Amino acid sequence: MQVQSHSIGEVVVMNLEGRFDAYSAPQVNERLEEALRIETPRLVVNMEKVIFVDSTALATLVQAMKRCRQMNGDLRISNLKQPVQMIFELTRLDRAFEIFPSAAEAVEAFNQ
Amino acid sequence: MTQLQSSDSRMLAAVVSAQRSQFSAMAEAWLASGATTFSIWAEGTLLGCWPQASFAGPPSMKAAIQVNGREIGEIQVAGLSGPAAEAVLLSEAGLVARLARMEKEIKGMTARLIDTQDQLLAVYDLTEATRNYLDMGDLLNQLAFKTTQLGATEGAAFLLELPGQELRLEHYPQPFLDETLLRSSFEKVKTTENELVLNFSESEMALSGLRNLLLMPIQVRGEICSALALINKREGDFLSPDTKLARVIASHAGSRIEHLLLYQESLEQAKLQVEADLAQRVQLNLLPKTSPQIDGLDLWAGSRPASQVGGDFYDFVSSRGRPFTFAVGDVSGKGMPAALLMAMTRTVMRTKTNVDPTPTPEVILNNCNTELYDDFTEVSMFATAFIGQFHPQNRQLLFANAGHSPVIFCPHEGEARLLEADGTALGVLPTSLSKDQEIAFGEGDVLVVATDGFSEATNGKDELFGYERLMKVIEKLAVKSAREVVEGLFETVNQYSAGLPQADDQTVIVIKGN
Repeated sequence: MQVQSHSIGEVVVMNLEGRFDAYSAPQVNERLEEALRIETPRLVVNMEKVIFVDSTALATLVQAMKRCRQMNGDLRISNLKQPVQMIFELTRLDRAFEIFPSAAEAVEAFNQ
Repeated sequence: MTQLQSSDSRMLAAVVSAQRSQFSAMAEAWLASGATTFSIWAEGTLLGCWPQASFAGPPSMKAAIQVNGREIGEIQVAGLSGPAAEAVLLSEAGLVARLARMEKEIKGMTARLIDTQDQLLAVYDLTEATRNYLDMGDLLNQLAFKTTQLGATEGAAFLLELPGQELRLEHYPQPFLDETLLRSSFEKVKTTENELVLNFSESEMALSGLRNLLLMPIQVRGEICSALALINKREGDFLSPDTKLARVIASHAGSRIEHLLLYQESLEQAKLQVEADLAQRVQLNLLPKTSPQIDGLDLWAGSRPASQVGGDFYDFVSSRGRPFTFAVGDVSGKGMPAALLMAMTRTVMRTKTNVDPTPTPEVILNNCNTELYDDFTEVSMFATAFIGQFHPQNRQLLFANAGHSPVIFCPHEGEARLLEADGTALGVLPTSLSKDQEIAFGEGDVLVVATDGFSEATNGKDELFGYERLMKVIEKLAVKSAREVVEGLFETVNQYSAGLPQADDQTVIVIKGN
């Protein structure tokens, strides 16, 4: 799994690529931890190129989202592809996360 | 006979006495050709004279016995001379010299053989002495002690630096030398992978008490992460035999250290295994052992953990005066933390179901979420859960679903469909979003509440079993009893992932109206 992140203003956008599962979750978690070291973390996890997620991956995202919100920030998700979108819907995580069609829109929403 | 001074002369005397008959034959030949006496000498001492008991008169000829250019003695003949006789005498002196040289070589070889045997015995003793040590400190200390004995040194030390651990030092009899010197020498042998011999000058010796040091690298699991230090040889400097001995000890020490590490690891493994077995037993005891008899329902459940302790659970609660309640849940993650949270979730669920005045599935899930939210947050986990209740009076099935899937409802002779969750899993949001939902549950209707271990089972091509296949199988199995549906599901998924190790827990409850 590849993880690349860049900042747009105060928002950190993290692009994930590949399978997001129990094997790659620690690596993503490490990058999320780094991004969470600021006072009010605003994160967009762009999942355009993520082809698979398992429950460990979901737990990783939920944990980071909860910590962001504790610090008055948020973790938002963009660009869910069909099979991954379905998993978010089945587990109703689409009701826990704010999900946007594109990273740009997710960043924009932070700035409003 | 006076004491001979040089070892070569003593050697010649030994040869003469050992090969007496050969020398007699040689003398007889001279006497037969007209000589009056034949004698052999070393350092002016007579070693032998023929004819016996005669007085060796002044020689008419003599020839030196030379070994490696050094004269070690001579043979003398009286009463005979001439160039031909002199030539014979010279060649005989040569023969005697060769005999003496060979004798010396044999002695040397014998001495070396004895040394080697002594060393073998010493190593055997070392092996025996260090066989039963189960503590690394004790083992290294004993090895150091034996090293001082075998190497005839005043002290010895072992250095051991295992991956991820601090460097440890064991000295015998006491810390002899500066740790900084040992450490820097250790770094050197790690780089060169060869032994290091240091001889110190007298002024250095006066300062540190160190005369000489031999440091031999030790391989443990293919890496040089240990070394043996021989400190202050009792006599002289460290020479080639000392290096050889140190190499033998180092190799033995390396294998003893590896052996002990392996022992310690397997002990650790065994301890973990005992804990895991215990956890699994506790967990299995938490799952209902039998399915309750409920009027109007045929029900069955099964669970198969992937690792020894899993995060899946199911439960039945039927107490007098309260509706029959059943639950299936899946804690994210595997292993011990997942199992602990599973046990906690189950307990809270049971308590709420039995104590709350109106324990509808929605109320139970909300209570569980409120109660466990902080714990879930603490360990970065969550749990999906489905809770159902059967009301026999109106044959209604009341349920609430916190992010759990797959839940499949297959009406009698109808098409199977997913009952999707309306709320997120427990522990995701501070307040649960799950609401009570209701479906009619008539005769022949089947409800399958499984965990994602079924839908996410893969085949050899890494393809998921998926919801579609699961629904098809359930439609086919729906005519059978709840027990047969459960068994059929396990069997089908087994066949699908033929031989592959089970990646996730698989748990299922099947409820059928009758």
